[in-house]
Amino acid sequence: MKLTRRELLEAVVAGAVSAALPRSAHAQTTQKRELAVAQGGDIAKFDPHFSTASNDVRVSFNLFDNLTSRHPDGKLYPGLATEWGLQGQSTWAFKLRQGVKWHNGDPFSSADVKSSIERTYDASMKTMVATVFTTIDRIETPDPFSVVIHTKKPDPLLPARLAFYGGQIVPKKYLESVGPDTFNAKPVGTGPVRFVSWVKDDRLVLEANPDYWGGKPDFDRMIMRAIPETAPRVAALLKGEVDIITQLPPDQEDRVTANSSTRLSGALYAGLYVLGVNSKRPPLDNPLVKQALSLAIDREAIVKELWRGRGIVPSQPISKGDNYFDPSLPPLAYNPKEARERLKKAGYKGEEIYIETTIAYVAQDKAMSEAIAAMWKDVGVNVKVEVIEYSVRAQKSREKSFKGLWWGDPTSTLGDPDGMMWRLLAPGGIYDYWRDPKFDELGNAARFSVDDKFRGECYRDMTKIFLENFPWLPIIQPYEDYGLHKYVEWTPNPNQQFEIRRFNFKFRRA
Amino acid sequence: MRGFLPFIGQRIVRALIALWLVSTVVFVVMRLSGDPVPLLLPPDAPTSEILRVRRDLGLDQPLPVQYGVFLRNILHGDFGRSIHFREPAVSVVRGYLGATLELGLTAFVLATLVAVPIGLLSAMKRNSLLDHASMAVALIGQSAPTFFLGILFILLLSLKADLFPTSGRGDWRNLVLPAFTLGAFAMASIARLTRSAVLEVLGADYIRTARAKGMSEMWVVAKHTLKNAAIPIVTITGLQFGTLLGGAVVTETVFSWPGIGRLAVQSIYNRDYPVVQCTVFIAALLFILINFAVDLVYGLLDPRIRAH
Repeated sequence: MKLTRRELLEAVVAGAVSAALPRSAHAQTTQKRELAVAQGGDIAKFDPHFSTASNDVRVSFNLFDNLTSRHPDGKLYPGLATEWGLQGQSTWAFKLRQGVKWHNGDPFSSADVKSSIERTYDASMKTMVATVFTTIDRIETPDPFSVVIHTKKPDPLLPARLAFYGGQIVPKKYLESVGPDTFNAKPVGTGPVRFVSWVKDDRLVLEANPDYWGGKPDFDRMIMRAIPETAPRVAALLKGEVDIITQLPPDQEDRVTANSSTRLSGALYAGLYVLGVNSKRPPLDNPLVKQALSLAIDREAIVKELWRGRGIVPSQPISKGDNYFDPSLPPLAYNPKEARERLKKAGYKGEEIYIETTIAYVAQDKAMSEAIAAMWKDVGVNVKVEVIEYSVRAQKSREKSFKGLWWGDPTSTLGDPDGMMWRLLAPGGIYDYWRDPKFDELGNAARFSVDDKFRGECYRDMTKIFLENFPWLPIIQPYEDYGLHKYVEWTPNPNQQFEIRRFNFKFRRA
Repeated sequence: MRGFLPFIGQRIVRALIALWLVSTVVFVVMRLSGDPVPLLLPPDAPTSEILRVRRDLGLDQPLPVQYGVFLRNILHGDFGRSIHFREPAVSVVRGYLGATLELGLTAFVLATLVAVPIGLLSAMKRNSLLDHASMAVALIGQSAPTFFLGILFILLLSLKADLFPTSGRGDWRNLVLPAFTLGAFAMASIARLTRSAVLEVLGADYIRTARAKGMSEMWVVAKHTLKNAAIPIVTITGLQFGTLLGGAVVTETVFSWPGIGRLAVQSIYNRDYPVVQCTVFIAALLFILINFAVDLVYGLLDPRIRAH
């Protein structure tokens, strides 16, 4: 057996950590006034309209507020808007919170909201979130605490869009006076933490906003560190140098749970890990072949062996936890016998089928590729696994030039199939390799309807079409796990917002 | 010191040629390796946007034109703006350079201070327990991969013995584990080479003569051995500095040390051409400067070298 570097590291960690444990029982309460968090990579940008990377949004969702806020329970709550409602079919009215101040002392008002949202799709700004609010026609500000948004067509999901990236509200006056570069270097928001200092690839220092409308967070300072390697990140947690670590892989969880002072906390990822399928390339243009590929994957085994049970087997293209998820559908079936028959029926003649896998683009991608390739070989598929690098994947994604299958992690941005299945599989979406007129008609109809029942029917029919055609092969809906000290009370958010506001984070005091 | 000036001049010309070659190779390799634009934009960005960004970055120009601009700019100390950080590449690299120099020089000094005496003692007490033990440790130091040593140090000396922080940059205690990790290979190589160089000299005729005329062993080593053994030791020490720069990539990642090694790797993933070019250029410059210094020391140590 050939050991990879990571496997070797893990073996070393396993040996040495179990030697180091058990240690004396640690206090389960703390007097700490500083929260230290370690994540797997450093921040690239603070300007929330210029990044959607998870290392960045963990910070930007706390420096800034959105009008609406999606809590870890998956529901929408008031943010900078206190209430909102639909007027007619395509007009949304928002009441804003009064008395809110920016970190530099300027008062917050509707002018900030209007300029902030318009900035996202202003072509001259070149933001990274230009496609989030394409449904908006115009924004009116009748008074300093009212915002009226007119959409081009009825948009049932506007409040949900405002809760996610692109929706962070930035300060009009400050931004205009200092320009985007200074704003990015010294960000000013309304959020629960204020920017203090940042040493790249070392540490970011934030301080609690004492005047925060949601209450001052339960700490004075927050330190965000970048520790790229997993083993040192876990070591930093076990030693108490940091209070929370992100991106805890399943094979390191024993170290955290075996230690008396630390625990594991996970959230079911708001999205799916899938193999994208280039359905334009024979034999993947044949739905029977894709059905056979799906039937030949033993997803239970993948969840159990590769993920140590930290995930669930998907049953549909809608992730569990989203609107219109159908709990009556069974997990995607494993039936190698049936798979062989469908391949035969499809007239499959041993054409090569490629998996172009990345390494750690999604967790466990290469290991899952190898497992799936072995399962496919068992039913007679001539499968080839090729490893590609991130930038090559990005290029192939843009040029739509994948040779067969590749890994993706569709994120549910809106808690609704429109923000995942339809956003990504619609014409022009990044997984647009397959078209079905009925599927397209239903997707469009659901997007522009404010009738809940009608939308539910559309998504049920789309799911049915999906499960016959498999434009993706959903593999797993994993847990995203964090390691934390037991004196930390905190719930992870499925959509990767790192929520440290008062309602979700506190230190357990003696 | 006749002949010393041409000697220096010749070394400077060689150094400049090496720098030019390194920059050119990096320029070509980075452009062969892929397009940064898809990584900068959202996956659903329209083609017009991609063309615009490519134009903004000057990537739509023919390669020879890009190369000409690149050479002209580096002569002015300008490596362009970082694609990822949106600020001048030079200032990005400068922000990381201090950390690498701190780590690299500490590791280097540590390696030399530990290895030369050990090598010397091993040679003088050849086949003693000390000799066998230190050479065995050196063998481990030379063959253990850096990431393995680093993780081992973290688990044993930080997590278990609670002597040092696990990672990050801070006071001197943060420096100990990464410096030993990074210096281990150099330390081992220098110790082994010192031992063999000293052994070789100890076997020379003039040492026998020195001993025969009744000099004390200490005096023999101090006056006759060290200076004659110094040339190979200085050579390997200079070369090891380059290894240290390379090793910094792994050490900095394991210990989340904010240095240019880690910056280089991340910038390669991000296809951040200007930062990669600048980092490699500066690393090459450091290496060349060190070897330049080594050449000068040779010249001082051994008059025969500057005569050639």
